[in-house]
Amino acid sequence: MRLGAMFGDMFRSLFKRPVTELYPFRKEPAPSRLRGALTYNPAKCTGCQLCVKDCPSNAIELITIDKANKRFVMRYYMDRCTFCAQCVQNCRFGCLGMSNEQWEMAALNKEAFTVHYGREEDLQKLLSTNPHE
Amino acid sequence: MDIVKDILAILIFPAGLAVMAGGLAYEWIDRKLVAQLQNRIGPRWFQPAADIVKLLAKEEVLPEGVDSRLFYGLPVVALAGVLTAALYVPLFGLAPAHSFSGDLIVAIYLLSMLTLCSGLAGANTNDRFSLIGATRTLTQLFSYEAPFLLTLLGPAIVAGSWQISEINAYAGGHWLLFTQPVGFVVALIGLMGKLELPPFDAPEAETEIVAGAMTEYSGRGWALFRLGKNVELIIGLTLIAAFYLGGLSDPLGFLLKTLALLLAVAGLQALFARLRIDQTVGLWWRAGALLVLAQLLATIVLKGMTA
Amino acid sequence: MENETREKFIIPIGPQHPALKEPGHFEFSVDGETVTGATVRLGYVHRGIEKAAEERNWVQDLYLLERICGICSHAHALAYSLGVEKLAGVTAPPRAQAIRQLVAELERVHSHLLWLGVSAHEAGFDTLFMFSWRDRETIMDVLEGLTGNRVNYSVNVLGGVKADIDDARADAIRRGIDFLEERTQHYLKIATSDETFLRRTRGVGYTSREQAEELGLVGPTARAANVARDVRVDVPYAAYTDFPVQMTLDTRGDLEARFVVRIRELFESYRVVRQILDRLPAGELTARMPRRIKEGETVSRIEAPRGELFYFIKSNGSDKPERIKVRTPSICNFAVVTGTAKGHQLADMPMILAGMDPCFSCNDR
Ligand code: SF4
Ligand code: SF4
Repeated sequence: MRLGAMFGDMFRSLFKRPVTELYPFRKEPAPSRLRGALTYNPAKCTGCQLCVKDCPSNAIELITIDKANKRFVMRYYMDRCTFCAQCVQNCRFGCLGMSNEQWEMAALNKEAFTVHYGREEDLQKLLSTNPHE
Repeated sequence: MDIVKDILAILIFPAGLAVMAGGLAYEWIDRKLVAQLQNRIGPRWFQPAADIVKLLAKEEVLPEGVDSRLFYGLPVVALAGVLTAALYVPLFGLAPAHSFSGDLIVAIYLLSMLTLCSGLAGANTNDRFSLIGATRTLTQLFSYEAPFLLTLLGPAIVAGSWQISEINAYAGGHWLLFTQPVGFVVALIGLMGKLELPPFDAPEAETEIVAGAMTEYSGRGWALFRLGKNVELIIGLTLIAAFYLGGLSDPLGFLLKTLALLLAVAGLQALFARLRIDQTVGLWWRAGALLVLAQLLATIVLKGMTA
Repeated sequence: MENETREKFIIPIGPQHPALKEPGHFEFSVDGETVTGATVRLGYVHRGIEKAAEERNWVQDLYLLERICGICSHAHALAYSLGVEKLAGVTAPPRAQAIRQLVAELERVHSHLLWLGVSAHEAGFDTLFMFSWRDRETIMDVLEGLTGNRVNYSVNVLGGVKADIDDARADAIRRGIDFLEERTQHYLKIATSDETFLRRTRGVGYTSREQAEELGLVGPTARAANVARDVRVDVPYAAYTDFPVQMTLDTRGDLEARFVVRIRELFESYRVVRQILDRLPAGELTARMPRRIKEGETVSRIEAPRGELFYFIKSNGSDKPERIKVRTPSICNFAVVTGTAKGHQLADMPMILAGMDPCFSCNDR
């Protein structure tokens, strides 16, 4: 039994800088494996839909632009995604990944959360046929 | 009607504001020190003031079943009490605004007003947490009050006066910290008990009874009580510094001495786990009161022998 | 008259109360400061997860169930994966099992350190709270680096794990563990020697061994009362046969014993983590899983940080489960609050409550 068993810790921290991270002012780099926003590489996608099938929160849709030429656009609902990386695991062609840079995803409107991934011209086409998207 | 005029003067006169600003600054320093001791960053300098401003701007909810005159009156009386006490102590190292023989007793009782008021405020509401908190506040009041009083009597006896300014002047030549160490320690800890700082925060232990007696207070009333606490902090530190740390005669000395005391208070706050109310009472009566009494007797005997 | 004045004065704690930032409701009837009775009411945030699991396929359920609890997310995912693998007749490769155990032990470290901070805070010992949470960041960083997230590690897949460990990663984990081991020694010393803290824990909330058996306590709360009950030892799962752990027991049964048992368990976790890193089996990370699981039912038990976690899984041969029943450790342990409250001071109640490490998200699935 002794009084003030934490005295040593306290005394030392008197001369130490606080460990509190000054988050919005100073940002630490995220670890390489961090699961941030989904990334999609349309070049390799075969349209097998395996990623869509196991997504626990229905956060991704694969829109077929031209099936024969393997042109797809991925619609990603960032706000529904739980960042579980099951889709990444499911894709056998390595089209999907999770960014460790884009993880600050707060937004003031809901539109910002619906993202389309794909080749430039496919995106153009999709947006021109569906002006409301 | 003199006293009423004084109160008015204090509330309007810039000196009253200065005391409150000082109280807020000391609260910030205290919080910052505790944070530093816990390796955290702590609040920014304007946080206590911002809190008060925010609270003043907010709606004050009058709970059901309370006496509204008491509910609104008590915070005002509490703050006025401590501000009046500020008149008699050498705040910022300046001579007290008022001084008469026996003002020490008046100041001590004015300081207890705050605790009494918050106890009453708690008992006034029907809230269960408030009631338990009020019981604990008053229980604690009875346990630390006597030892704390005795510790201030020690210097008064050696100085042979009941006037704060005279004791202050006497203490200027005698560091009573060394001749009455027990009194000093008990006074400091008594002040923490008075302010319900950890580890003596059982009356407002948030993990048990939310905010204790203050649970039902919001807005203006709560702001006034908090201001009262801050002012009491600075007055308490001033008194102890004046009596035990060689008196206060200039602002620089005041700052150095009270801040040193504040560091000690912050350290003690961070060092211990909260005492249960029964443990607090036990500690004060078994250790605090007896030690101080012993020292007081020794002081009287010594003084009798030298006189 | 006697009855009127002695009318029960009830102190409610929760569902909104600063002692308990979680949705549980406790009523303590008090006489002055002494508690004369306690009742508990749970279920404020029932989320219907068990039912929702029947609507999703086996893989989707893994992530749904992982979100039952944020603190022991891996425990839920692990119990579920092991159960489903058993039903399907698949065993995850040894490397995957070892990584699962590794993450489970790291999670235990983070959970116990979190608990240490919370209960220190309940005792009004905020310095210990701040320091233990500061150090807990180390383990959070280790877990984040290893799995990609601080909370829902999502390291399991049906049939294996996602995250591999290379030498650099292993070294990072070792460094974190070394630092924490030293700090844990320090916390053990504080929890067993600080006078003001011991006054709040020693002799408080005592349960005898018989009482603990009778109340059906699990996990560290039971082990603190000398009840030898630890699924990791009794029925080893994942890689616990290859990397066994020792059971940590204490005979005293009070709050202090619960502190000691949890803190000492940390050392056992550190040891096992090091052992796994040194002797990590080589090989595949995943085994192939069928999409449809054979008809049948099974029980899967693992030792979560708070005690035994129990999954009942029933399949009807489709790609969705027919029924999943989860019994979490906290529900077994609430009896310790109602059982031991009587006669204690009101101030002890938050301590006793925190002492069993309650997890409300576990309760309200
Ligand atoms: S990370 Fe998970 S939730 Fe997000 S899109 Fe992929 S599978 Fe769906
Ligand atoms: S799993 Fe891969 S290849 Fe298949 S649709 Fe998804 S992204 Fe394309």
